[in-house]
Amino acid sequence: MTQTLTCEVNGILRTVEVDGDEALLDTLRDRLYLAGTKRGCDEGECGACTVLVDGTPVHSCIFPALAAGGAEVRTVEGLAGPGGKLNSLQQAFVDRAAVQCGFCTPGFLMTLTALLEANPSPSDHQVDEAMAGNICRCTGYSAIRAAVRSLVREDGA
Amino acid sequence: MTAVGLGAPRSDAEAKVRGLAMYGVDYREAGMLHARLLRSPVAAGRIIRLEVTEARRSPGVHAVVTAAEAPRHRNGLVLLDTPFFADDMVLYEGEPIAMVVADTSRQAEAAVETIVVEIEELEPVSDVAEALAPGARLLHPDLDSYRVIPGTGPWPKGGNCGGVLTSDPGGVDEAFETADIIVEDVYTVPRQYQAYLEPKSATASYDGWRWTLDVSHQFPYKARSRVAQALGVTDSRIRVVGHHIGGGFGARLDLGLEQFAAIGASLTGRTVQLVNDRVEDLVSCMSRENATIRVRSGVTRQGRIVARDFECLMDSGAYAGDTPYLTSIALLMAGSVYRVGPTRVTAKSVYTNTAPSGAFRGVSGTYLCFALERHTDRLAQAIGMDRREFRMRNLFEPGDSMLNGQTLEDAEILREAFERVEERAPWREAGKGPLRGVGLAAVIWLTNPLAGSATLGIQEDGSLGVSTAATENGSGAVTMGLRQIAAAEFGLGAEQVFVTSPDTDTQSYDAGSQGSRTTHVVGMAIKAAATQLKPRLFNIASGLLGALPDDLELGGGNVRVRDDPSRTVSLSEVARTALGVGGPLSSTGTYSVPLPKWDPDSAQGLLFPVFPVPTYHVHLAEVEVDPDEGSVRVTRYVVVQEVGRMINPDGVYGQIQGGVAQGMGYALWEGLESRDGRYTRRTLESYGLPLAVDIPDVEIIVLEHPCEAGPFGAKGVAEPPIVPVAAAIANAVSDATGADITTLPIDPEELLVALEKRQEG
Repeated sequence: MTQTLTCEVNGILRTVEVDGDEALLDTLRDRLYLAGTKRGCDEGECGACTVLVDGTPVHSCIFPALAAGGAEVRTVEGLAGPGGKLNSLQQAFVDRAAVQCGFCTPGFLMTLTALLEANPSPSDHQVDEAMAGNICRCTGYSAIRAAVRSLVREDGA
Repeated sequence: MTAVGLGAPRSDAEAKVRGLAMYGVDYREAGMLHARLLRSPVAAGRIIRLEVTEARRSPGVHAVVTAAEAPRHRNGLVLLDTPFFADDMVLYEGEPIAMVVADTSRQAEAAVETIVVEIEELEPVSDVAEALAPGARLLHPDLDSYRVIPGTGPWPKGGNCGGVLTSDPGGVDEAFETADIIVEDVYTVPRQYQAYLEPKSATASYDGWRWTLDVSHQFPYKARSRVAQALGVTDSRIRVVGHHIGGGFGARLDLGLEQFAAIGASLTGRTVQLVNDRVEDLVSCMSRENATIRVRSGVTRQGRIVARDFECLMDSGAYAGDTPYLTSIALLMAGSVYRVGPTRVTAKSVYTNTAPSGAFRGVSGTYLCFALERHTDRLAQAIGMDRREFRMRNLFEPGDSMLNGQTLEDAEILREAFERVEERAPWREAGKGPLRGVGLAAVIWLTNPLAGSATLGIQEDGSLGVSTAATENGSGAVTMGLRQIAAAEFGLGAEQVFVTSPDTDTQSYDAGSQGSRTTHVVGMAIKAAATQLKPRLFNIASGLLGALPDDLELGGGNVRVRDDPSRTVSLSEVARTALGVGGPLSSTGTYSVPLPKWDPDSAQGLLFPVFPVPTYHVHLAEVEVDPDEGSVRVTRYVVVQEVGRMINPDGVYGQIQGGVAQGMGYALWEGLESRDGRYTRRTLESYGLPLAVDIPDVEIIVLEHPCEAGPFGAKGVAEPPIVPVAAAIANAVSDATGADITTLPIDPEELLVALEKRQEG
């Protein structure tokens, strides 16, 4: 049985038929073709599927699509600014070599977007704590911390 | 200005932060079918009934494939011991028995549920001790009849051993008699799962004669030859197209799901995609093998190691995979770094009823180093000598040889590395205080020598294209290293160079991202291509500039007269001119590393005989142990690594930090243990991957001793930072607690017991 889901995804109002038990991740990837959000584990552990629902990071692989009804959903594809310019967090990831294989990157970007919107000057420890729901197997996290730090310094000055 | 040595951003970073990079699992074709495997629910048994009639009639199902529809011959990486689907016997939990191809993955999954499989269970041969016990059930009763891949000679094997390495140079027992003290230790380590974040997948299509595979694979040419081998067709009927790789760490060097997608495509005539879910990915993955290491050494009171006996049992799981190769690493490490006197080595690749193990960054080196460096600490303690002083006394000198007879003329770099660690973290001050400790570990590691190639093309707009089947596994070796090497060859900025993704139909051979080889080997291939291309480029520019070719140089995207830089012509103009003067400016370079000399009589079963382009590494760990929990915090971690020459500092530092993090996971939290042939930890959550809070920023000191036969002097970098980590941390934890630490991951309970004992003492 499909049902109709209506929500705003990256600023665009979308209406889509979804299965009753469908995860938001499946809707985004397979129905809306937003493949930037990644499926790493399907068990809410790795964080590669993190998106923002009304500003809150959720693991979209275990988040029911229908629960996003009427909400604002943001994915990695919605981060870049007008004209496609990378936002400051994306640019910091590029400049600080915080990207290796990149499969975890969309999830980290969404988690850290939420963190920085709530707290523009987090400590290293707060950054680490915020990233507790995201796994990176390549970088050893140091460059990701450095990317966030570079923004804190600029904004906090 | 040269592009080499700069932290130029990787060319795929932007696509990745935008979410626009397409990985293997993201690949889509209109009308694509979806497949799902039925995997064995038990570790050992005989299939007595396999009923797929209902599955064939299920909604949306296009095909059900079993051993009856698949090739009947066996395949393998080195030893051809692996059936396409389990037929008659199942040898491990997770072994593929059948595959359903359907319109949707839900339909495929539902149809798999309808398959009736009855298995007469057998008591699994669950570990190496059982496998080697007299009278053990043989997993491969026909082992003697199995073929090996072409170009590999026969090697000793038999019983439940897919490969046996032995080395006995003579004089070992006599040398033991000169020892004052003999110390014997046994170490055991579990498996380690690569835990790349992109699950394995494969997408295949078929045109009636040839198959095309869209994959994220570290070694497309190996995927090609292995799919061909499994299907029983010639290599060139397979085309492998590589997409972004969501982490590999060695797990994507051999077949994963490619052969199943391929047979699904040829049986249905449709494009077929197969993707692992995370649990089946973990359970069936070729993880780093578990092993048992026994090491016995004789030492004098003056602090010299005089003799050694070394044995390593490696659990290959149900099929041998690469493990017969890995036995050789025991020989290459048991008498390296330190002089140890005459040494006897035995290493066995042992079959058990567990998932086949395989390559993970650092392969067997990680646990061999753990065992050897823990043992080194124990030897020092046995004679009451400081652990660092003991290492210095036995340290390799230039001209010393490893047990394979390979001589290391540049081994003085080891001493330099120890000294640089000492400057950064003085030994007498490090890790002091209650519940704190310090540990050292050192290793010599290789740069994988296997062949590679690259084609350069000066584009009509003056930019440079690099086409290679080398894969970007995330390390940056292609998107930073190779671009910068190519840029520097032609006086360009890295941003003026683009690299293609791999396609075996259009690029010649490359041996994949393994053993830190890409920057070194493919960098040399780029240099070779540039050397061929430049004379033509200068000749054409010479005509345009009215100057002799010998008087020209490259820089800033131009060719210019060396003594009169005002006379320039752009590369764009030279490239456009070339089209009418002999054709486009393009050339292909190839390279493989010349192997150093070794003694072929040093061992039997030596399939992986040398460490080409060796690099030198010393690590220091400081830890603090929680007295209530027994948990370990790494408070400081120092790496001194010799790299030849840094092509991109961000790349080098990123590989070291990332490798150390994986090593910390191995030392402290990760591990696949099996009980009766079943892994006890089966989800990513229970597996215990390190999080950001667990991993400190590593202090990294890079030594540069440019390699004459390396691109701008570069050697391999990315693999070895994981190798000494468990050793250094275990030595530090032992120092902090007095616990022996003979197993990984380090057990907090054992630390609490040791701390209690120390308090009582």
